[in-house]
Parts: sequence; structure tokens; C-alpha cells
Amino acid sequence: MNINQLVFRNLKKNLKNYYLYVFALVFSVALYFSFVTLQYSPALDDVKGSIKGGASIKAASVLLIAIVGIFLLYANSIFIKRRGKEIGLLQLIGMTKQKIAKLLNAENFILYVFSMAVGIIAGFIGSKLMLMVLFKVTGVNAIANLHFSGMALLQTLIVFFIIYGLIMLRNRRFISKQTILSLFRTTSSTEQRVKKISVFEIIIGVFGIVLISSGYYISSQLFSGSYTSMLELFSAMIYILASVIIGTFLFYKGSVSFIANIVRKRKNGYLAIHEVLSLSSIMFRLKSNALLLTIITTVSALAIGLLSLSYISYYSAEKTAEQQIPSHFVMGSEKEANTFARALSDKHIAYEKKQFKVIQADFDAKKIMDSELESLKKDPGVLTLSVISEKNAPHIHVENNEVILSGYSDLLKKFMPIQSSGDVKLLIKQPLDLKVIDMKKDYLISYRFTAGGMPVAVVSQNVFEQLDQNKDPKLQLENNQYIAINVNDEKHIEQANDIFTSLKMGDDSMSQLASAQQQKQTMGLMMFVLGFLGLSFLVTSGCILYFKQMNESEEEQSSYTILRKLGFTEKDLLKGIRLKQLFNFGIPLIIGLLHSYFAIQSGWFLFGGELWTPMLIVMSIYTVLYSIFGFLSVQYYKKVIKESL
Amino acid sequence: MNILEARKIYKSYGNKFNKQEVLSGIDLTIEAGEFVSIMGPSGSGKTTLLNVLSSIDHVSSGSIRIADAEMTQMKDQQLAEFRKKQLGFVFQDYNLLDTLTVKENILLPLSISKTPKKEAFERFQQLAEDMGIYELRDKYPNELSGGQKQRTSAVRAFIHEPSLIFADEPTGALDSKSASDLLNKLQDFNQKRKATIVMVTHDPVAASYSRHVIFIKDGQIYTQLNKGALERKMFFEDIMKTQGVLGGVKHEH
Repeated sequence: MNINQLVFRNLKKNLKNYYLYVFALVFSVALYFSFVTLQYSPALDDVKGSIKGGASIKAASVLLIAIVGIFLLYANSIFIKRRGKEIGLLQLIGMTKQKIAKLLNAENFILYVFSMAVGIIAGFIGSKLMLMVLFKVTGVNAIANLHFSGMALLQTLIVFFIIYGLIMLRNRRFISKQTILSLFRTTSSTEQRVKKISVFEIIIGVFGIVLISSGYYISSQLFSGSYTSMLELFSAMIYILASVIIGTFLFYKGSVSFIANIVRKRKNGYLAIHEVLSLSSIMFRLKSNALLLTIITTVSALAIGLLSLSYISYYSAEKTAEQQIPSHFVMGSEKEANTFARALSDKHIAYEKKQFKVIQADFDAKKIMDSELESLKKDPGVLTLSVISEKNAPHIHVENNEVILSGYSDLLKKFMPIQSSGDVKLLIKQPLDLKVIDMKKDYLISYRFTAGGMPVAVVSQNVFEQLDQNKDPKLQLENNQYIAINVNDEKHIEQANDIFTSLKMGDDSMSQLASAQQQKQTMGLMMFVLGFLGLSFLVTSGCILYFKQMNESEEEQSSYTILRKLGFTEKDLLKGIRLKQLFNFGIPLIIGLLHSYFAIQSGWFLFGGELWTPMLIVMSIYTVLYSIFGFLSVQYYKKVIKESL
Repeated sequence: MNILEARKIYKSYGNKFNKQEVLSGIDLTIEAGEFVSIMGPSGSGKTTLLNVLSSIDHVSSGSIRIADAEMTQMKDQQLAEFRKKQLGFVFQDYNLLDTLTVKENILLPLSISKTPKKEAFERFQQLAEDMGIYELRDKYPNELSGGQKQRTSAVRAFIHEPSLIFADEPTGALDSKSASDLLNKLQDFNQKRKATIVMVTHDPVAASYSRHVIFIKDGQIYTQLNKGALERKMFFEDIMKTQGVLGGVKHEH
């Protein structure tokens, strides 16, 4: 048998074991290639022009290189350790280290070229699908065309051959550092000796849980008003990040085995088979993978969190637009309003025009506001609000000495809580005592007037007129008319929006639909990029966990042999393995989900109005995909157990 | 009463073009309360015999009855069930689970039979004290010496009071002191508890502790020796002589 035959034999044998590795490699290449193809695609210009699509996709492709590169290097180091014995044997029969390195590199090269070819073809086809997804989520109406880019191909080839070069160097270093004897022992030396739980570990374990909980607690307090200055807020965020990440590490290092140990102690030596397989394994194994698991947990928490947040704002795009622009169209000036109205009439679109005056006035609101606002305003207790007459506010009725606040954004409410009833003073020449009787949710005027989310004060017509005569001219906006145009028939909104866009009006004229679309486009692109980055991270980290389990199952095979000789059936063992995998995959998953839940919970209202639906959708997709790897590893265990007797 | 009856057991490996017959027609009867050694040179099929008798491997043809149950007809599931209840094992390489303490390893067979905790602990204490490993109960296997590990393994084989105990080269990896310790304990168990033990060994000293030695060669029973009223030393010499005749491989390994 010559060396070429050896290479092919090895490949054939390895493909069977590492089909998932090949899959991950193909997937990485495909994903990267389609991302780069998108980057060079002329079809993307539609998206690019408005929202810098190219830049975010470019940034994503760089991150993708990092994820894929680390994954491939890590997976390779797992595999080369598995083949220690074989390498030792080749050395024993007189092959030089250079020759062995050549052999391994040739194997890797073939695997690489094959995977890249498949990956590039898949990526090329996939790029159309990706483009379609991208157009769909950003709401761009364009046909996704296949476009082959030589630049993209070149870039992909360069990137993956650099990674291949790195792998080659690592293999060479691994081989050159080994002696024949140590090679025979590679698998056993990485195995960790079983030791008793020490007091130190218990302390670490408890400390890890304390750190995580304190991080969670502070995150829930983050925007509740306890941290008012920017510095405080910033240090709180740093603390949360540090405590949760360090806590996670200590959790894997100590807490898991600590908890498992408590459960085990209670059994007093009388363990059932499923406990033998699950408890004892997670007690000793999770610990040695603490760093890896911490990275996986943190990055997946980050991915879930960011994805959820962008989905939240995507999901709430319409609602946000409605809050900012409460009518279909809001016009910046009388002139523009007339131009637009004429254009609508020309197209026979029925509309309704509404126009009223909005006055800015100072209120002494000490009594309805919680104190401690020094950092936000110079003069505590004085609020500048837009005032409108009740005549222009549908469904709202107030008496002469009353005022109703309407449309306070959730975000500002968190920073500046205002009570929904109490006494205020309208600060004009002769201050007027008014009583706030209610706080309504409706948004009545566009955000141009409300400083991005302050409530509108609705007063009676009398008070409004009084205020109009005594208003402080310094506070008033240049254009104090709110001009709204509502299309009567919902069906015509899109047509009206097209007309609006074609008229190219000033910045003060706004369309609700266009604004919603704009937000959807920005967030859609964000989701697209984050989604695919998250997906590639999920696939690669899932693969790594699977490989780890593959090794573990083989290391534990002798135990399965013993157990089966003792009379435990395959079914008994499998029951234990399922439980074990539930822990092995479930613990990092649950911790990751918890982290992202608390991260989202602390700041989601900055992004939109709907928390649960988007978050649960993202989390369940993640859980399902992640479970696939757990399921695959159980299948592998099944095979190992079957072969163990 | 016969606890084990094997009739005409054949076992071969390989396919029909390249067949290797390991056991060729062995008849064997073991009575309850016996302590039997199986001896033979390397490749004589003694470990294969033990494996098929203990239901870990299947025979090619023939019948094996243990405690009046026909083993060759049973499905894997039933066999596992049978092993769990009726058989105990002691192996050369101890076969202890590294991640469990001595106590947990020993109690493992009881956890499946759902023995009440109290009874399990009583049995454990008694047997472990007999074997002199009670003090080691919270240690992990890698903290024990070979002899201690093998005694742990022996206690595990006895704890569920099986009708038959199989020992495959139990002293193979032990120094002579630990080996004689273990064999004395096995003898004790055999006499006091009426445990039936079948032991495969290539060591004449180990075999001399038993009451009955079966020699096999090339997959067939060559001869049998009975200790009867002999002293252990005399019996040992008998065994040595037989082994010498058997093939001149007195000191393989």
C-alpha cells in the first residue's frame, strides 16, 4: 500500500465518522460565499443606497471568518488528538514526522477542496435564497437574480486557504511536539482524573451562582430609575457584563458539579443507572469544558439577545410609526399640504385634512413627578409640553381646570415617571392651577412637537385660548400648525404614499407608511445579518459540542461494556444517556436563554412595543435547532452502546 | 442439584470460507455450591467458554441451561434480565466505573432489582467488611490498589446473591499477596455462603483454591481433576502435572 492509498483509506473511514464536520465545513463555505456574493451583488444596491446594507454585510462577513476560522481550528485540534494512536503507529513503523504531516495535510486538502467545491455551489444557489429572504424582510420589491461574482469566489478561496494554512501549521506543530510514547497516550492524558469535590470548588460554585444572580438583579433594575446619571448607568452595564460572564464560567467550573454532588450525596451510594450515566458524567466533564461552554453560552446569549431586540423593533415598526406620526401623512407646511392635497385629488383619492395649532408651554409639575431629575433638566419640576385644545382631541373631554396627558412613550416613562393625576401649574403671566385627571395612551400629534415622546397636554378650549394670548414666544416652534392628511379608504394608502414620495417634500413632511417601511428595512437588514451570523455560530458550536460528545462516548465505551455485562440493557443505558444529553446540551442552552432573557428584559422597551411574541419566536427557533445536535449525539451514543458488547 | 448444564456447545467465528472453530462440542455440568476452575493454554477457548456460559456471547449450536432456564433460546432483553438477577462477574481488569465510588459501584446491581435501601446497605456493610473494603467505601477506583479494586469487584459480584458467579482471570493483574487474599475470600464465600463460582485462570496456584478443575484444549474438554480430600498443596501438584502433559506450556504469559 503506498501513501496515496493510505490517504484515501483514511478519508473513507473518517468521512463516516466526521460527516458532521464535513457538513459544517460545507455550510461555512456556502454561507460565507453567499454573503460575499451578496456583498458584490448589483441587486443589493437597492438596499445599499438607503441603509448602508453593504457595510453591515461586509462587517458580518468578517465576523463570519472569525467564527468559521475558530471553529475549524478547534474541530481540527479535536480530531488530531483522536488520531494520536494512528500517528504513533505510523512513526513506529518508521515514517518520518514530515511524511506524516504530509499525509495529514493531503487528507485535509482533499477534504477541503471537496467541501469548498460543494460549499461554493451550494452558496451560489443559496445566495439567491438569501437575497429573497433579504428582500422579504426589508420589504424591497425586487426580483432576486442569480449573479456570479468572480471577486466573491476569489475572496472565499483566499480566506479558506488561509484557514487551511493555519490548520496545516498547527498539525505540523502538534506532530513535531510528540514522541511515539506520548502519542499513544494522547487520549488518556486529556481525560481528567476523577477527584473528590474540594471546599474550594464549593466556594467557586456558590460564588458563580451569586455573581450570575447579582448580574440578573442589576439588569432588572437598570432602567427602573435607580441609575440616573450616565456614569452610573454605564458602570452598572459593565458590572452586569462582567459578573454574568465570570459567573457563567464559575458556574460551569464549580456550581454544576457542586449541585450534582449534593444530589449524589443524598442518594448515599445507591444510584440508579440513569443517575450513574448522567450525574457522574456532568460532575466531571462539564468542568473541564468550562471555558468552551462559557464562550458558547455568552455568544449565543448575545446572538439571541440582539436578534430578539432587532426582531422586536421590526415587529413593532408599524406601531412605532403610528406613535411618531399619528396620521397617514403629516405635512410640514401649508404649501406642501396644498401641493399634496391637489395631487391626491388628481388621482381621485378621497382624503381628510385636519389642521390645528399646537402651543408649547411650561408646566410646574413638581407634584406629579418623582424627584431626582437633576441630571435630565436644569430646573427640576418644570416640564415643557405641547398643548392642544380638547376640540382637536377625539374622545377626550376636560373641564376648564382640568388637563389630560396623552401619548407618553414607554421609553421616557422609564426615565421620567409621571403620575396620572395630581396638581400642576401652567406657567404663564398669571399662573393657572390645573388638575391632571388622567393619562391616555393615544398619540395625537407627530413627534416633531413632542420632543420624541413627551406627552401632550389636552386642555379645554377656554384655557387654550388664554394660553394662546399669553404664550412665551421663546418656546414656540417655527411652524406651530399640525397639518394631518388621512386617506379615507385604507386601500389607497400605498398609492398615496407613492405620490407623497414622488413629490419629494421637506423633512418636516412625513408619511406613516414610509416611516414604518424605513424602520422595517433597517431592522430587517439587521435581523438578516444577525440571523445568519447567529445561525452559523449555532451550527459551528453545536458541531463542537457534538464532537466533544463523540469523544466522550468513545472514552466511556468501556463503562457501557461493564454495565451491559452486569445485565443492563441497551434501553436502560440509553435512558441514562438521554438524561445526560439533556444536561449536556440543556444546561448551556438554558443558561444562554436566561442570559438573553434578562438582557432583553432590561432594555427591550428602547426598541419597540411588543416583547413576548418576537422573543419567544427567536428563542424557540434557537432551541429547536440546538436540540438537533443533542438528538444527533444521542444517536451516536446509541451506536457506541450497541457496539459495546 | 445442577445449576449449570451445557450440552454439545459449539462456537465458531468467521464466515463459511474462513471458519475458526473455538469450541467444539463441550459438555459441562456444574452443581450448586461448587467452586470450579477452567484451565487451558492460550487460545484453548477458555475465555470464549466463559463468555458463552455467562450469556455475554452466543453459541453457534448446543444448549446451555442455568437454573433450569434455557439460555440459547432467550432474546437479548431476556438475557440481560437474566444476567442482572442470576449472574455475578469478576474480571481480570476489575471493570469498575471510574466515576463512581466503591460503594456506588457495589450497589449498582441492586439498584435495578429495586432492593429496599435499608436491606441494600446492610448487605453492603456485611460483604464489604468480610472483604475488608468497608473503610474504602467513599474512595474512587483510581485511589485504590489492584487488590482493593478486585475485592470491590468481587463484592459487586456477590451483592445481589446470584446463583452463579463467573470470574475471568481474577488474579491476572494482581501481585501474589493480593491474589492469595482474594482467592481466600472467594473460597470463604464459596464455603460459607454456598456461592457457586466458575473461574477461568491460567495460574495453577489460583486453580488450586477451587474444588474442581476442568482442563480444555483446542475447544474440547481434555480432562478433569477433583480436589476431594487432598490438601491444597497436593492438589496444586496434580494440576501442575496435568498442565505439563497438556502441552508443555506451563508458563505462558
